[in-house]
Amino acid sequence: MNAGMRKFAASTSYYFRNYYRSRSFYLMLVISLLVSGLMTYFTFKYSNNLTDILPNLKLTSVSLTTKESVFGYVWAYVLIELPVFSSVFFGSSAISSEIENRTAFQIFTLPISRTSLLLSKYIAAVMVTIIITLVYLVIQAGTFLLVFPAPLIGGFFNSIWLLVIFIFSMTAFTFMISSIFNKNTYAYISVFLIYFLIFNAYQIISEFLYRSTPFYLLDTAASIVEKVYLNVSLSPFNFSFSLNPAGYSDIMQSILVMIIYTIISMAVALIIFERKEVK
Amino acid sequence: MPSIKLEGITKRFGQLKALDGISFDIDGPGCIGILGPNGAGKTTMLKILTNIVKPSKGIAKVNGISVSEYPEKALASVGALVEQPEFYPYLTAREILSFVVKIKMAKDEKDEIRRVSELTSITGYLDRKAGEFSRGMKQRLGIAVALVGDPDVLILDEPTFGLDPSGMKQVRDIIKEINAKREKIIILSTHLIYEAQEVCDRIIIVNRGNIGYDVHNGLSDHVKIELEAPVTGIDFPAELARKYRSDGNSIYIEKADGTRNSDLIEHCRKMGHEVRWVTPYNDIEAIYVSLTK
Repeated sequence: MNAGMRKFAASTSYYFRNYYRSRSFYLMLVISLLVSGLMTYFTFKYSNNLTDILPNLKLTSVSLTTKESVFGYVWAYVLIELPVFSSVFFGSSAISSEIENRTAFQIFTLPISRTSLLLSKYIAAVMVTIIITLVYLVIQAGTFLLVFPAPLIGGFFNSIWLLVIFIFSMTAFTFMISSIFNKNTYAYISVFLIYFLIFNAYQIISEFLYRSTPFYLLDTAASIVEKVYLNVSLSPFNFSFSLNPAGYSDIMQSILVMIIYTIISMAVALIIFERKEVK
Repeated sequence: MPSIKLEGITKRFGQLKALDGISFDIDGPGCIGILGPNGAGKTTMLKILTNIVKPSKGIAKVNGISVSEYPEKALASVGALVEQPEFYPYLTAREILSFVVKIKMAKDEKDEIRRVSELTSITGYLDRKAGEFSRGMKQRLGIAVALVGDPDVLILDEPTFGLDPSGMKQVRDIIKEINAKREKIIILSTHLIYEAQEVCDRIIIVNRGNIGYDVHNGLSDHVKIELEAPVTGIDFPAELARKYRSDGNSIYIEKADGTRNSDLIEHCRKMGHEVRWVTPYNDIEAIYVSLTK
């Protein structure tokens, strides 16, 4: 391993430690456990009483796969938001905190490129976000294995790698916003406003006025995780990959959008971080 | 031989000109004190030397390498403590030092951590998280971080800030000890004139973004003697002192040729005065006050 790679590996490792020992990490972990606990309770309680929540459903005609899909939908609905909150927690303050907490005075004087520093912090943030999301996924998998004798639908596994791409793009997006500000609060608020307010408002306007879904928005692209999870139906625990009926072009388009967000966001964050000055 | 060169450094923050075409060279080892009032540009100068900010104009070089063009290479031979240091709060002091050892590619990680932690007296705190450290402990850890890898150039911005008197003395002793080996350039920015006079070979006073004064410190013929009791009835013969004046417990003396400090101490004792200490003196305080008025 050359000197640059060794420095990169060292800083990734120390950033990861600083992340997983932080209050933000434990808070997110508790949230993940709480939410998955509630979902588990909900799944156990209503798995045989679907009519309580869906009165029009004729229980006798419901297949196990349909039941699983109904609960899968509810779990997936939360799953897609979890990486967003984690990324906001770990990514939004990634650069602004170096300025606000004055740690930049230490790290900028070290003989390591700022690009290496930023990329290593990014990888560390992605890793902790994946851990938080995995906790939820493992509990979901355990619950489904216990509740439904016919185990998980294949889409569960196929959607995970899309989820990982989404985590990379969402974290990159929060890093970009963080690079603009020198105060953590502004960075947190801006990410929330852009992602939950501006993106949603734009999507609603676009759909109502122009009858078109803005596929190029990150949250729209991220919905592919749910689609693949719920639509791809394979044999239980069969890892062979099928794109139907989620749609090959839909999946590739969403992946492309998420990759473009990742590249552009990180490029902008790197350019700003490289020029960042601590007054 | 370590070197530092600042050529026409100007730094603007919006409309404010923090530095206005500063130039100076440091060739070879020695301790250089940077004095100046708040907002004079001292810290900005150090930030440019450590790549925390980039100059608007001019070039800063460490060992002949431009800091803004090749920061990684230039900073490989620099250890720095700039402003009051803060660290990643969830890492222990040992992990922070280990991280810096790895980044600076220093050899023998354990030995290096032991060396710098013993020098700065933080050995007993190595396994505590930096977030739990007091201001003074953070300062010590910051100095330890700067010392990692035994760099050619040591940049210390108010290193005694937040330390108790014994801690301040300890830091000054560390600087003196390093400087005595005559291997490194030490840049010491401080508000304490006596600290610069005690530790540094050369003093630069920065004022309003310019260098107001640059002189070699500790002129051998100027000393200040501090007595245990107020000065009364003491005279110095012409063979010991060309000029002298007293003020409270202090006597300011311009020594005659060939006079040693020990001769002056001996003379004071003969006159019935116990000497607390003798220090080089060249009226930096008066110059500082007149420049920064």
